[in-house]
Amino acid sequence: MLMTDDGNGSATIAREHLRAAMVRLAQGDSVALEEIYQATRVKLFGICFRILGDRKEAEDALQDVYVNLWQRADRYDPHRASPISWLATFARNRAVDRLRTGKVRGGSVPVEEANPLPDEAPLADMLLIDAERSAQIHTCLSSLDKNIQNHIRGAFFDGYTYAELADHADVPPGTMKSWIRRGLQKLRTCLEANETS
Amino acid sequence: MSDENQITPENETRDNSMIAAEYALGLLEGEELMSARGKAASDETFAESKAWWDHKFAPLTDEIAGIEPSPQVWARISIEVNGGAATTGAEVIDLQSRLRHWQWTAAITSAAAAILVAVMVFAPGSGLLAPPNAADAPQLAASDPLVAQVPIGETGLRLDVTYVPESEQMLIGAIGLIADGVHDHELWLVPADGSALQSLGVVTPGEVLAMELPEDVTRNLGDGVELVLTREPIGGKPNGQDAGPVVAQGTFSQV
Repeated sequence: MLMTDDGNGSATIAREHLRAAMVRLAQGDSVALEEIYQATRVKLFGICFRILGDRKEAEDALQDVYVNLWQRADRYDPHRASPISWLATFARNRAVDRLRTGKVRGGSVPVEEANPLPDEAPLADMLLIDAERSAQIHTCLSSLDKNIQNHIRGAFFDGYTYAELADHADVPPGTMKSWIRRGLQKLRTCLEANETS
Repeated sequence: MSDENQITPENETRDNSMIAAEYALGLLEGEELMSARGKAASDETFAESKAWWDHKFAPLTDEIAGIEPSPQVWARISIEVNGGAATTGAEVIDLQSRLRHWQWTAAITSAAAAILVAVMVFAPGSGLLAPPNAADAPQLAASDPLVAQVPIGETGLRLDVTYVPESEQMLIGAIGLIADGVHDHELWLVPADGSALQSLGVVTPGEVLAMELPEDVTRNLGDGVELVLTREPIGGKPNGQDAGPVVAQGTFSQV
């Protein structure tokens, strides 16, 4: 379960610290990059590895993420997104792009092989994503048919395409597309109904 | 829904929000992917819709276990970002060139020096791992550098530690070492007077680091003084806990 964030807890402090570092980075402060790296590398590397399934590829992707961040730090709008969810999305998108270049096939390596961090290691960045939005996506996903949920999760976590999902489920691609699109429609309706702002 | 029992994807309306969702999830490939990329670059509404989905999906990443990348990743980022000069780069290069002939000397003398390699464990509360030399703390005579080599097990790899008195700087070279991503190694000075170990910091595999030493450390440096290397969690020995197992040790000798 995620920590609840009452608005002035440590999660808020960590998030604001990271947001400030992102703003400094956009102003060309290279020290900020190291701060951002220290605060987010464990989470972002976990994401890259999960998508790519290969340590070497994942490290290349991670390097690419931060170098790219440094070059184009102005893309982040501090007023719109929480910095960690923006960075997590950025890392995932870069990793998926890498998958689509066809050099690697992700999701094939069992997660246990990746030396996950020992339990006692501090994972400060786990606290950075706000609990409310997290509850929203989970609630809405769980309202979908179990199979469709699994296909959507397969796309998100393992980077599977329509064709790969259809292949795994042993159905024609058209069927898979139709299932998922129907699920996404429903998901959108649910997410919109739960929008707080 | 009206289309609940009809599986006819070609007839379904695919509004932009659906394509944006597919693009955000990474479901598309080939022509469809290229078309979505093009849309994201040229159509602001589409780009916003994609960002909306990204934003909604982002909390799912909390389910992915974090993994520590190897330290080389930061080193490579740092080099790319700083155009080849790491933070302490210039300093290290300067010291390295001055040290070259000293290192030659060290290589010759160390062949004769028997360096004990042992694996010992700090028992909680026992303090030192070996009785200190009875001799008083040796004083540094001149400005001659002190050199120690700390072989790592039977790997053939070693740490090269050099202290240059006149600069009060220590160089720690861990060239050839590769991090396992789960541990760091911390280097300690074993003061000859039997007082508590002094941390010289966490070793960075694959790099030569220069560090300035405080006076309370430098006064304990001298010929014959021992160094030990311990295995610690990432980031070094946690405060309030005993140091990890000793994995290697070496002794300073004056060049």
